[in-house]
Amino acid sequence: MTFDTDRRATGNQPLDGPIDDRMDVTTKGLTPVAVVGTLAEFRPEPTPYDLVALVDFVRTIGPDLLCLDMTLEQWRLRDFGGLPPEYRDALLPLAQQTDIVVVPIGDDARADGLTAVDATTSGPAGPRRWLFDRLRAAVASLQRGAKSPVAVDRGARHWMAELLYHLMDWLSGAPAMHRGSTLHGAITHREALAERVVELARRDTGRRILVVVNARYCHYLRRALGRHSEVKLVRYAEL
Amino acid sequence: MTGTAGAAAEVASLLPTVGVVAVLLDDATMDPDAAAALVSATNGLGVLAVLDHIDLPTVVPLLKAGVIGCLPADSPTSDLVRALVAVGRGEIALPPSIAARALAELARPVGLDRRATNELSEREHDVIHLLVRGQTNKDMAQALFLSVRTVEAHLRSIYAKLGVRSRTEAVLWAVRQSPDEGGRE
Repeated sequence: MTFDTDRRATGNQPLDGPIDDRMDVTTKGLTPVAVVGTLAEFRPEPTPYDLVALVDFVRTIGPDLLCLDMTLEQWRLRDFGGLPPEYRDALLPLAQQTDIVVVPIGDDARADGLTAVDATTSGPAGPRRWLFDRLRAAVASLQRGAKSPVAVDRGARHWMAELLYHLMDWLSGAPAMHRGSTLHGAITHREALAERVVELARRDTGRRILVVVNARYCHYLRRALGRHSEVKLVRYAEL
Repeated sequence: MTGTAGAAAEVASLLPTVGVVAVLLDDATMDPDAAAALVSATNGLGVLAVLDHIDLPTVVPLLKAGVIGCLPADSPTSDLVRALVAVGRGEIALPPSIAARALAELARPVGLDRRATNELSEREHDVIHLLVRGQTNKDMAQALFLSVRTVEAHLRSIYAKLGVRSRTEAVLWAVRQSPDEGGRE
């Protein structure tokens, strides 16, 4: 199985005891959130997805709320055809069979039409593009090489992937990005993802939220969510 | 026959097994719960309450408790006899001055409780609207993008505010509150 996972509680201590009884976290006004990254970014490549393992993984966690990067319109219309197989063939059917509630956190207003597939072709041009592609291949290799979620979750593999994603952002010129560019759309999109998770955490305080998104958004989401005092960012195993 | 008794069961035990069709209660402070217990214990006999003061707040709860006749304590004997005969037949016996208003109050749907409606939060209104449409807790949670446990918590709160004990009672309350609810999409 190959998907990236959140692996740290940024700036927060681990939860004390099980979260099953909402009382403890509610009185503290905290909502436990874990972020899991799929390899949707690398979907055009022949990645051997193990969807059964993904289903078992999420079923075992049994979150109250499952945030997916899809639009409200897609959800309402049940228009799942363009979604990644992790969503379409694994997580949405799982939610239908369980008490897990799906919450679409995708950006309805996203005008650039950026999808996980588009992301593979976005990025810088020229020499930077060459380096960008090498880094991206390195991230893909690292994540594919993990034998389990736990393997992805530990040690140098995680830190290296995080560093590479930061470098890829830098090479893409994220800080000086022009509005309307494809990558600007990606940045706006990941900000929207974070905002919607925080809004959900405020609206349903204390419930266990699992966010499953493209791996390329994970490092940003972890940082963004960790900045909100009402969110308790946890490892998926602690959710 | 006449006598004094404390609990409803005691009253019932004093009654002969045959030949009794009505029970007259002379209790100035008749409590609706006690009246309901008595109605239940006397197994369908007509119960007539004699009260010091006859007014809607006193009479309506007693009628809801199953008492079918109320009479002021200073009523003439002839009125008392007529009332006893009436309740013995299962008819409602009320002073004309209050009968129409009391029956109108009884005829009102139970759910027309604006105070309870106002006590419901906006989210609880959303939940009960979905409840009336026959949705499961998961359906409601998914529709509102809330966890199932949160919906369950809202339901418990709704039950408490409406004074109902079950999903069915809550639905009945909502349908009475707004008859169109049942058919709304």
